[in-house]
Amino acid sequence: MARHQFAVIALLGVALASIFWVLLDVAGAYTHTSFGVDAFQNRFGDLTKAVNARTVFGYISDNRPDDPSDQAEFYLSQYTLAPTVLVTSVNQREVVANLHAANPDMNALRARNLVPVRNFGNGIFLCRNVTVP
Amino acid sequence: MSLLYLLLFCAAGFGLMRFFLSGQLRPSLHNALLVSAGAGVGLGIASCLYFVCLASLGPKIPVLAAVEGIFVIAAVALGLRAKVRNLELSPAPGARIPRYLIVLVGAAALLGLVLFVTHSANKPHGEWDAWAIWNLRARFLYRSGELWKNAFSAQLSWSHPDYPLLLPGLVALCWTLSSESTLVPIAIAFLFTFATAGLLISALAVLRGRAQALIAGALLLATVEFVEVGAMQYADVPLSFYILATIVLLCLQDRYPDNARFSILAGLTAGFAAWTKNEGLLFVIAVVLARAVALIRFRSVPRLVRQAGSVAAGLVFPLAVVALFKLRFAPPNDLASARPADMIAHASNVGRWIAVLQGFGKEALFFGQMAVEGELVRGFLIPIALVLLLYWFLIRFRVEERDRSAVATAALTVGLMLAGDFLVYLLLPNDVGWQMSTSLDRIFLQLWPAGLFAFFMAANAPELVAKAAGEKSKPARKPAKAQRRVAETRPAR
Repeated sequence: MARHQFAVIALLGVALASIFWVLLDVAGAYTHTSFGVDAFQNRFGDLTKAVNARTVFGYISDNRPDDPSDQAEFYLSQYTLAPTVLVTSVNQREVVANLHAANPDMNALRARNLVPVRNFGNGIFLCRNVTVP
Repeated sequence: MSLLYLLLFCAAGFGLMRFFLSGQLRPSLHNALLVSAGAGVGLGIASCLYFVCLASLGPKIPVLAAVEGIFVIAAVALGLRAKVRNLELSPAPGARIPRYLIVLVGAAALLGLVLFVTHSANKPHGEWDAWAIWNLRARFLYRSGELWKNAFSAQLSWSHPDYPLLLPGLVALCWTLSSESTLVPIAIAFLFTFATAGLLISALAVLRGRAQALIAGALLLATVEFVEVGAMQYADVPLSFYILATIVLLCLQDRYPDNARFSILAGLTAGFAAWTKNEGLLFVIAVVLARAVALIRFRSVPRLVRQAGSVAAGLVFPLAVVALFKLRFAPPNDLASARPADMIAHASNVGRWIAVLQGFGKEALFFGQMAVEGELVRGFLIPIALVLLLYWFLIRFRVEERDRSAVATAALTVGLMLAGDFLVYLLLPNDVGWQMSTSLDRIFLQLWPAGLFAFFMAANAPELVAKAAGEKSKPARKPAKAQRRVAETRPAR
């Protein structure tokens, strides 16, 4: 009986200690979350009301391509703007620009034939690609 | 309001379960099992009906509400009017449960609940796959109106638009009937996570006794990865629920061979596994093969034929929905579209064999470890495989003759699933390292509840309470013939 008791207590003891350890850790881990979805959605604010399901929008960001958050921000932008379809290209008539700099570089957009048509604040712009009819 | 709809679907699932396996309407182990399994059955049927309505008539809310309403009313009515049969699933006989075991189980349930709630409160949209795949698809289905087929647009290929729609359909259904809220996917995740634990505990209590059930249930609830992935709103925990439910129902079928209803329900839950994730299709093949082998080896071919018909009857509806989705709406799967020449090249690459073997070996040993945001590693403080090995060493396996086909079904299914997943990793993806690093832990997680079920079905019942003095002094009797046939895996000394 003692052998069986030891087996059960060891098994459940390890499991309970593990989950308890994680719970102690949880608060600290969550405070430096990289991608708060709600905060990200709030950045897009009124843009979500200006888009519709019938249009495919291009997407551009000022993140470096090798920045791990670049892909996550594109996915979150798509999640936020659904049911509009976003594509990671500027070859659409309308393009969403997701910029992070305090003073966004508009010349960089113009260099890619993008003309900002509306500023939604928080670095979010709706642009028109002048080369796409 | 949307939570009320979810509860109604669960009630309908219970009603349907009770129609098939009716018992007295009172608090009992029988009804605990029906409630746990019924939650998944009800949610699965509701999701299938949603997609059938959408595919056939478009987003017509009155039609959808009528169809779902008829389902709920009919299922609840069937459950209430079901005649009580001579079938009451009761706890297998066993020794008294010590108080410390109940305390440990309670602590595991409480800690699991706190972890789930904390995670959900901090991340109500779930984690990466939730907002990049499952909830994104739900938003498309709900917000697009007549353009709902945009959810499967080739321009969203990065979000795997070929994945089945049990979860997105369920979320979109509740949003359509009420309004968009993060509470819906959280509640669905909660239901599947804790219904899996409820099903594991109630099924093992019936088949192996309360001690085995409580130990297995506590271990599952204290598995950080299981609770966290549930709270992350991924489809892996719902899939693990349907895998476990199918295996449990087939094992109960062996205990009640004259009641084919267990097999019908097993077919239904296997079909819902296929409607949850693509791995569910692999599961349908694996469980059918495993069942066939187990019945041929330990029972008889006529029994196999009878059960095959019942399982097929249960599979028809969900598999028809999966076929409708896959053939008419879903784009090709990125892995399944691999060319034969590539697959041959992959199979002849020794490096890939080693990489996949290493990946499976590491995951088997370190199951439960999770890298969170690339830095923090969580999981069991000691590899759980080693702790289970110690548990086996101290307690050993003991499979009674009547449970041999059940244990073989469970163990073979898990084994075949792992073998199938091994082949998928070996043959299909171009970047096998990346593919395994992002999914292998969840492949093991999908099989964790079923694996625990198989383990505790086979494990000896632990003696946790001292026998009464009278019991000790009884002279040893010659074991009955049936007892002598018990399979004892303990090696001879």
